[in-house]
This record gives sequence, structure tokens and C-alpha cells, in this order.
Amino acid sequence: MRRADPALWLLRAVVALFILFMLAPILVVVALSFTSAGYVVFPLPGLSLRWFARMLDYAPFLQGLRVSLQVALGATLLSVLLGVPASLALARSHHPAALAAMTFLLSPLSMPMIVFGFAALFFLSRIGLGLSLPALLVAHGCVCLPYVVRVTAAAYRGLPPALEEAAEVLGASRAAVLRHVVLPLLRPAIAAGSLFSFLVSFDNLPLSFFFGSPGTNTLPVVMLSYVEQQFDPAIAAISTAQLAVAVLLLVLADRFYGLGRLVGQEGGG
Amino acid sequence: MALWTRRGLAGATAALGLSALPHRPARAQGKSITVTALGGIWEEAVRTCFAQPYEKATGNRAQVLIGSPTQWLAQIEANPARPPIDALVTIPDLAIAAVQKGLVERFTVEKTPNLVHTPEEFIAPLDGHGVLFDYGVAGFTFHKGRVKQPPKSFAEFVERTAKGEWQASLPGIGYAVTPIMLIWAMAKALGGGVDNVDPFFEAVRKMGRNVSFWNSPNDFENALASGDADIGIYFDGRTWAWSDSGASFAGFLNPSEGGSINAIAIQKPKNASEEAWPYLDIMLSAEAQLAFAKKLNYGVTNRLVVYPPGLAERITPWQQAAFPPYAEIAAKRAAWVDRWNREIRR
Amino acid sequence: MRRLLPLAPALLFLAGFFVLPMLDIVGRSITAADGSLTLARYALLFGDAFYLRAMAETLALSAGVTLLCVLAGYPVAYYLVRHAGRWRGVILFTLVAPLLTSIIMRTFGWQVLFARRGPVNLLLEGLGLVEAPIRFTGSLGIAIAALVHVLLPFMVLSITPVLQSIDRRLEEAAAILGAGRFRAFLEVTLPLSWEGILTGCILVFMVANGSFVTLLLLGGGLQTLPLLIYQQFNTTRDFGMVSAMSTVLLLLALACLALQLRLVRKGG
Repeated sequence: MRRADPALWLLRAVVALFILFMLAPILVVVALSFTSAGYVVFPLPGLSLRWFARMLDYAPFLQGLRVSLQVALGATLLSVLLGVPASLALARSHHPAALAAMTFLLSPLSMPMIVFGFAALFFLSRIGLGLSLPALLVAHGCVCLPYVVRVTAAAYRGLPPALEEAAEVLGASRAAVLRHVVLPLLRPAIAAGSLFSFLVSFDNLPLSFFFGSPGTNTLPVVMLSYVEQQFDPAIAAISTAQLAVAVLLLVLADRFYGLGRLVGQEGGG
Repeated sequence: MALWTRRGLAGATAALGLSALPHRPARAQGKSITVTALGGIWEEAVRTCFAQPYEKATGNRAQVLIGSPTQWLAQIEANPARPPIDALVTIPDLAIAAVQKGLVERFTVEKTPNLVHTPEEFIAPLDGHGVLFDYGVAGFTFHKGRVKQPPKSFAEFVERTAKGEWQASLPGIGYAVTPIMLIWAMAKALGGGVDNVDPFFEAVRKMGRNVSFWNSPNDFENALASGDADIGIYFDGRTWAWSDSGASFAGFLNPSEGGSINAIAIQKPKNASEEAWPYLDIMLSAEAQLAFAKKLNYGVTNRLVVYPPGLAERITPWQQAAFPPYAEIAAKRAAWVDRWNREIRR
Repeated sequence: MRRLLPLAPALLFLAGFFVLPMLDIVGRSITAADGSLTLARYALLFGDAFYLRAMAETLALSAGVTLLCVLAGYPVAYYLVRHAGRWRGVILFTLVAPLLTSIIMRTFGWQVLFARRGPVNLLLEGLGLVEAPIRFTGSLGIAIAALVHVLLPFMVLSITPVLQSIDRRLEEAAAILGAGRFRAFLEVTLPLSWEGILTGCILVFMVANGSFVTLLLLGGGLQTLPLLIYQQFNTTRDFGMVSAMSTVLLLLALACLALQLRLVRKGG
């Protein structure tokens, strides 16, 4: 199977193009973060680390990062706790009501988030949550939930029901079946859904924007406000630092956990 | 799975644990106010020029919230009885909306004694429910190397752009103040006004593909730096700041008809802390405004301010710029935007 | 009934924190300035060719982006699950990278790549394919590329978990039975990954349908509903129209979603 195989080479070419397409604009940003210029210009006149110093020096960036991490982790946890049970309940049903419920659970995706943010600000203020971390969590949770639900449901529908039936025939309780059979098999899907959820929340601007207060400004809100007045490469330095952290996490995850267990079972893990 | 969840759970709760601390200091104690600032150098200027003197003078704390005026107005509107902001900076359009919705208080000389030094022109647009405290002028920002002889007037700009002497970049309809800084300013310069913006639409048609539009200020700077544009309509203060940061090729010129004044207003929401008044008074004082102007290269409105040499040449006196009839423009804005969408479609 | 119990928290959560705020929006859309009920905004939206065209452009853009994401995303997902080996980490990195790069900077990256004197133009000139630099900036192609760029990860990572759960012995069995590898793929693997493809399509379509920042910053000449909503929000501040357009957008998206989910039931 793995000898010189035209189909496989074609596939490799497609993947190489994909990597180029995905990384080209990002490499521009990474390069920019090492510029010595005081403003944004390409090509770079020289190299320096001054924008990383600026990033660490401007206090709102770090405060915003802390809030963003809290919100992204919290919203992900919330959407997994709400979303996984819901998708297990819905995935295999053919009832029209199940279809309607699934549509409903995915509906927050389609709203321009600026509209939902605006509406949520008024609603949550009315019920007393106002500009608080819980309000941010709830709003982000609404937007993150659909990702977890849909990805988990798809994987669950792909599992042969016979597996669970066999376990139940052998006398395992429903809880035991879920814990020892279903959830382990759904791990890659739950991981993918959580990853979506985390990234979507972490990158979110239009929701967080409405809930900004001195204690709840997220990093994207701070960054937008920064570049609106001062477009300098500090923002590129932040992106580069985030990418570096992502690389580190991927390496660690591979080392201690095995990426293969998350996205493919062969040849790794 | 179990491992995965447990690890995630532990991490998440640890992170959330940090947030169990109260985020807003209890306002009931009255000694802390929340003030707003645009980000970056703007925010740093607000801290050093306004917040620090306020804290020194009153012993209160001024917490600076960065963000944008649209967000703040929505937040105040959603919490009218307990506004999360005590002193607000905002753009005139939104300031007028706040006045119309009855969300803000009137300034008086008793509360802010420095009001007497602000010309009536900057108080009247908001009917006293806020004051315009600083302004930028939207004129021609150009690349000195590629545009050797910049146009002196809007009329000349339109004509030479139409001829294809350069590629121009103008504010687009996605940018909040385009109706003022472009539609009204150009229409007025070309013989129209609030009631007749035909000259503007005619000019855009004439300039055709030699014009592109920017929808965020960074876009304009990118376009000029990368060679995608040679000249455009942009703010004086930002041009100087950009030039100081290394983009020394950028020049600015106020058109002879007068570029539009794009002011920033200060307001105090109803039911916000009374402790905000001394802060707003500092924002209106000559000393604080001069310090602010030095940092941002923008004009300020206290008439006692004397700009030092160097800065004086950069700042366009407001008397030489075009003062927009903000309220009248606000009434026409929707119609202009609709017409833009249908005629310009870009 | 007991099987439906796990569903309740999620439904209640969305009912409380998504539906109630959105009802507010619907309310605003049918309330006139003087407080009376009105359908005038909907009459305008459905009676004016300008807005009908905006709806059509919105749906066409979302559908186009979704299609491109499937075509580009499926091979990558397949490779990631079946062949990636040591490259797995690299591909995963490319998938999370766009969302970790601020949208402002991503946009900037595209502008630099396609600037009048940017690398793409230099390359085209170097290869002698063009004589004068092409003006890419502001073109629809760049805007679509940027949208695909940020949505592709959702497609790929929606397909992988499903592909992974497919029993490879099925494929091998088909091959052994003489189907040929390509036919085995077409007749076994592809149909079994239908569920993942549709998940990706739904996510990409829905998100594209509600997004505007990329079009706002990169241009492209389309006037989609989200873009008009943003404009009303930011410039005109006509919240009645914002609400009416949002409601229409939500209904359009839900109709498409229900259609796609029916396809799942049929296909699955």
C-alpha cells in the first residue's frame, strides 16, 4: 500500500498545497512580529524583539489574556457538560422532534454574533448578570455548544449500535456502557468539539465586546481597541506568541498523550 | 476519556477559581470610578493626563476601561439605573444619541468650572449634555515620495484622481464616521451640503476605479505603506503619530475648503457616580488638555491652551476646518448610507 | 422518555440564554418608533430588489465557501487519519493556527501576500505569466480565500472523527472482493463519512452565513445581509432594521439547516 502509489502522491500534493495555503498568510504575521520598524510595513527593514517586549509591557494585553483563557476554558467545559449528553440522546433518533431539537441546538451558529451580543447584553443586564464573568461565560456557552453537539452527534451516529447492545446483553448497566464503551470511542469527537469550542471562544470579538468592563475585557477586545488607535506590530507579536504556545501544547500532547489517539489510530499514539 | 475530562476539569476550575474575586469594586463605597479610553497610546494618555491627576487630587481611584464608544453606549443603555461607566468618551453621533435617549447629564460651571474656558461651539452640539474636548481634522494624507505636489482642495483632489494621477483610498461605508468625514465634507466643499450630497456621489462616479475604500484605519496605513494607494482622506493626528513611529514618508494637508472636524465628546451618564465630575473637569482643564495634545497630536478645545512650537504647526486650528452640523447629519445618515449601498456598491 | 432527560439541560440553557434574548430582537423588529406594531420593515426587506439580492448573495457566498471547504477539506482529513504519521502534528498546527491569529493580522497577511508589489505578484511576474502587477486587493477571490482559510479547520476536524470510526476492514473487504481501491473508497469509505462531511458543511455554512468581518476588511464587492446588519449597527444605528434583518437571516439559516439535517437522515 505504501509504495510509490500515484493516488497517494496526488493526495500528498493536495495536502502540501493545503499547508502552504493555510500557513502563507500566517507566516507573514509571524515575520512581521520580528520587525525593527516602528510601524507596520513589508518587507521588514530589520529584525528585533522590541514588539515582544511591548506585548509584555502593555498591561491590558496580559489582563485580557487571563480573562480570555478563563472564559474559553469555562465555556468549553460548560458546552461539553451540556452538549455531550444532549447529542447522545439525539443522535440516533429519527423522530421529527429530534430533528427539530438538533436544529434548535445548532441555531446560535447562524446569528451574526454582534446581534446576539447586543441582545444578550440587554437580556443579561435585565436579569442582573450585567457585565460579569458569568455573563460572558453564558454568552460564549451559547455559541460554543453547537460545535460540541454536532461533532459528537456525528461520531456517535457512526458507531455501530451493536457494540452497546452486546455490552448490555452481557449485563452492563447503561452507565457502565456509556463509561466503558461509548465515551472512550467518542473521545476524538469530544476532543475535536472541545478544541473548536476553545478556539471559537478564544478568538471571539463581537460577543465579548459588549461585556467589556475593567475586569472582563478579553484579549481580542483589547487588541481591537489597541489597533484602532495604534496600528503597530505588537499585535503580530501576540499572534506569534499564541502560535508558539500552540506548538508547545501540541508537542506536549503528542509526547504524553499521543495525537494519534485524538485524530487517527494508526501509526501513532 | 475519563482522564481527559478530569484533566480538563482540574485546569478549568483552577482558571475559574482565579475569577472568584469580585471584578467590580463595590461602587457603594463611592471612591472608585470607571472612565473610558480608546486603546493603545490613547489609553496611556488618558492614564497619565487625566486619571493620575484625578487620583492625586481626590484620593479616589479611576479605573480605565478600554474599548469603543458603540460598546459603551449599549452598556449604559442596558443598565440605565446602574451604569457601569461614570465618565464616558465617545464620538459625536453616539453622544447625540445618548442625549436623545435621555441617558446623560447636563454639564454646569458649578460641577465643572473649566467649562467656562470651552468655546460655545463645542458645548452647543450636545446642548450642554456633554462637551467636545478634542478633535482631529480629516484631510489629505499622502505619500511624500509618490505625490510630490499634493492637491490643495477637495475639488483639485477629485479632478486629479479622476485623471488617474494617483490611486486614492477613501473611508468606506463600513467606517462609522464616513458620513461626516467624507460624504458631508466633500459634498460641502464641492458646493453641496447636508441637504444636497449629489456633488459627492457625482465625484465618486468621476473618480471611478482610481479610488478604493478602507473600512478600518489600519487598512489605509497598509495601503499607503504597501503601494496600493498613494493618497487618501485620513486624520491629522494619526498621520503625525504614524510618521513619528517611522513612516516618515507620510504627509498631511488640510484642504483649502476645510477638512471636517472629528471631535471626541465627554459625557456623564445619569445615575453614575458624582465623583466623576472632578474627573471631567480635569479633562476640560488647559493643563491636562495640553499634555493630552502633546501625546496624541490632536487639537484640544480649551481656549487657554497654547501649543508649543512644533506641535502648533501640526494642529489645524478648528476655525480653519469645517464644523459639521452633527445633529442634521445624524438625521440624514440613513438615507446617505442607503444611497451609497445602491449607487457605489463597494 | 428517560433517554431524553440528558437533553433537558442543553435545551433549557439555550431557551434561557439564546431564545429569550432573540425574542427581544424579534420584538424590536416589529415595533415602530411610536411603540405600535408594524411589519413595514419586513415589507421593505421582501419588497425591495436590493435586499432580496443581498439575501441571495449571502446564501450564494456561504454555499460557495462550503463547497470549497469540502473539496479542500476531505482529502486533508483523509490524509490526517490514514497517512499522516509524523506529519500529524504539523497538520494539526495548520488547523489551529488561523484561529490563534487575530483576524486583524490574518487580514493583514492576505493583504501583504496579494499587494501590488507583494510576493504573489512578484512570482507571477517572475514566471512571465503577467506583465503588469494584478490588482488583487478588494477582489472577491481574496475575500473567499480568507473565509475558506479560517473555516477549513472546521470542515477537516468535523470529518476526522467520523472517518476514524469507520472500520477499515470494510474497505479492505471490498478491495479483496475485487472492487479496486478507488471504487472501494467511492462505494464504502465516502458514503460512511457522509455524516462527517455534513457536519462540516453545516458548521461552515452556518458560520459563513453570519460572518462579516472578513468581507468588511478585505472587500470583494458583495453586500451580504450580515454586512448590512453591521452597517446599520455601526453607522446608521437603526436597531429596528438590525433586528428585522437578523430575524430574516436566522430564518434563512434555519431553513437551510433543516434541509441539511434531512439530508443526513436520508444519507445515513
